[in-house]
Amino acid sequence: MTETLLLIGILALFGVGLYGMMILHNFIKLVIALQILTKTAVLAFVIAGEMNGQIQLGQSLALTVIVADTMVAVVGLALAVQVRRHFGTLDIRALSTLKR
Amino acid sequence: MTPTLGLIGLPLITSPLVYFAGRVNRRHAAWSRGLALLSLLIAWVFFAQAAQDFSLNGTLETTIGMIVLRIDGISLLLTAVVLTLATVVTIYSARYMAGEMGEEKYYALLIAMSGAMIGLACAADLFNLWVWFELMTIASFLLVAFYCQRRTALEAGVKYLVQSAIGSVLVLLGIALIFAQTGTLRLDELALAGESLALLGAGALFVIGFGVKIALVPLHTWLPDAHTQAPSGISAMLSGVVIETGLIALLRVVGALAGIAESWGVLLLAFGAINMLFGNLMALRQKQVKRLLAFSSLSHVGYMLLGFGIAFYAGEINGAAGGFFHLLTHGLMKGLAFLAAGALLYGLHLAHERHDPLTVGDLAGAARRYPLAALTLSLAVLGLGGLPPLAGFMSKWQIFAAGFQTQDTLVMLLVIFAALNSVLSLAYYAPLVNRMYRDHPSNVVQQGKPIPFSMQVSLIVLAVMVLAIGLLPSLVNWLTEPAGASLMMVLGR
Amino acid sequence: MEFLPLLIGSVAFAVFAVRAVRLLHAALWLAGVSILISLMLYRLGAWEIAIIELSVGAGLVTVLFVFAIAVIGDEAVSVRSLTPKSLAAALTAAVLILLCLFLFPLPVEENPTVQVETTFAVSFWQDRVLDALLQVMLIFAGVLGVMGLLDDPKPRVAASSAAQAENTAPHDEESIADSHLEEERV
Repeated sequence: MTETLLLIGILALFGVGLYGMMILHNFIKLVIALQILTKTAVLAFVIAGEMNGQIQLGQSLALTVIVADTMVAVVGLALAVQVRRHFGTLDIRALSTLKR
Repeated sequence: MTPTLGLIGLPLITSPLVYFAGRVNRRHAAWSRGLALLSLLIAWVFFAQAAQDFSLNGTLETTIGMIVLRIDGISLLLTAVVLTLATVVTIYSARYMAGEMGEEKYYALLIAMSGAMIGLACAADLFNLWVWFELMTIASFLLVAFYCQRRTALEAGVKYLVQSAIGSVLVLLGIALIFAQTGTLRLDELALAGESLALLGAGALFVIGFGVKIALVPLHTWLPDAHTQAPSGISAMLSGVVIETGLIALLRVVGALAGIAESWGVLLLAFGAINMLFGNLMALRQKQVKRLLAFSSLSHVGYMLLGFGIAFYAGEINGAAGGFFHLLTHGLMKGLAFLAAGALLYGLHLAHERHDPLTVGDLAGAARRYPLAALTLSLAVLGLGGLPPLAGFMSKWQIFAAGFQTQDTLVMLLVIFAALNSVLSLAYYAPLVNRMYRDHPSNVVQQGKPIPFSMQVSLIVLAVMVLAIGLLPSLVNWLTEPAGASLMMVLGR
Repeated sequence: MEFLPLLIGSVAFAVFAVRAVRLLHAALWLAGVSILISLMLYRLGAWEIAIIELSVGAGLVTVLFVFAIAVIGDEAVSVRSLTPKSLAAALTAAVLILLCLFLFPLPVEENPTVQVETTFAVSFWQDRVLDALLQVMLIFAGVLGVMGLLDDPKPRVAASSAAQAENTAPHDEESIADSHLEEERV
């Protein structure tokens, strides 16, 4: 029961993150939506460990996921600072000189 | 130290050293360059050792904790391509990147990225594979947006980061699904897990997640920008090995779920067909040389997918071997094409401190001023177009022949489709050659600066390889056949 | 059932983070999601992960977000969407339904039969030691990436104030070149 509830929760969080990735056009908010998505992955590994009895293994994997995705977010923020500096906005619709 | 540990550990240990060597004295970026080259050369020694061990004893396994690293045919092939391109690109970048801000970071990340790709090739643990994949991705962010003072490079970086990150989350969810369902992460144990809906879903997540990196067609939009805006050496790496590494990762994990190999085969064939056609049609419209080459990467991924699809769908080992052969030759040819285009870009624009893109028009008459760069670029694009007796012809031929061996109508139709696509691709490769040799030198070419010696050396090395493999395709049989056999073993056929 | 309020709370905070008009508010809502998730992890018995999620996810990342927003200045974001919202919602729903199909045949047992007896430290530092070592490389690559992206070109242009004045000219040139390029590509 608990697991089912948690799985539904993960799906709901994933849905919010995915929806955000689709509708947002501010780069920093995209990174925020990305963070929501990665948090579902962290939860997913811990719960997967609970479900198959390898609790500690699931937690070890979750730790690596946290570190890796934090680095992605950090690089994303650095990129955002440069984008703002050179484009004057964070709106990714302004970043379309390369289209086609 | 076993060759496996050496091969994997060395680049990771030297990458920080390369960085610090460049920081010790600001004027000594040469130190980090030299150290990078040295570490790649030592990696070659480990590679030779590993290749020898492999030929004597078969698959090499190293276990660290519960994580298994395994060197099989596929790892050897990918490692060979990665090391070749990384070495050549390091030599090439000596002058191309000279004086750029953050040169030491460039070499450190180049080594880290190469190391990550070698590690991924050896990973036999599902989660560990993802960690290598993520390391490769994070190392490549700065390399793609290296000219971060330029708007176009930033734009490419943003697209690359967002799409890679989404792909990576999908892969993670797929891994979590598999872990929850089977309780194991070892790829070889997964193969015994049988079928279930959860594994099917995980496979679908992997196809989409890794598909971003491989640039399967609806997911390809980062590729042309990133390949165009990155420094030319990095374009060569991205197109020559990074997207192929994504492909290897996909083959490994989907291969492990191969209880349902045939349906995955159909999926690979379908994506292959779409990629070939779309890549060619888009390349036909391009005016910039690097962008044209980037789109042609899409169609070449299509040929590889065709080869691997034949292996999955019909269990034909020649399809797998042909796919790996094309992976190898495409790495060399596309690497050569990007480096040669980069050399021309350097001579025509960068040496004048201009950051204009290299257009097809700029190439007019380039053969007179730059005979070597023009010759190597021609060799590369004609090889990519599949003209005999160049390497690209041989690898495409092996895939097509494997397709006909299956005697399957669907596969044979696809092979004919691929052959027509190959002819179509000449429609954008041939004009490049024509421009360089037939036209009168344009103003840009007449004012061009000479191409430095180190860049010419790297062009010659790759060009000789493309020619040699074209004339004697059996030269690389020791790499492609074990790779094909390893894939078939994973598939259990 | 104890998870229900935490789950509802975290999903609600996530929605607020996506819908927030000011960037700073979005970052703070994200920190809220992170705190609730670390509580959930704590209740699940994953204490180590809960602490790390709290300090890294809610702490470090939030600080970096706030820092980045402070550097570039907060801007009000219109929540008007890039893709039509109905399309985005439909796509999300489709993905979720598919995922449900794959998820719910999973063997959901209260007490799994195999219980592997080990501790987190053993699992992380011995069994998965390669992942742990690779984290160091991940951090190294990420930090290099940030330093490379934030590096500013000082030496070449900023030699004199005259050069500073000229500094705007190349910028214009660049945008002209860009628009020129755009024409060419059409």
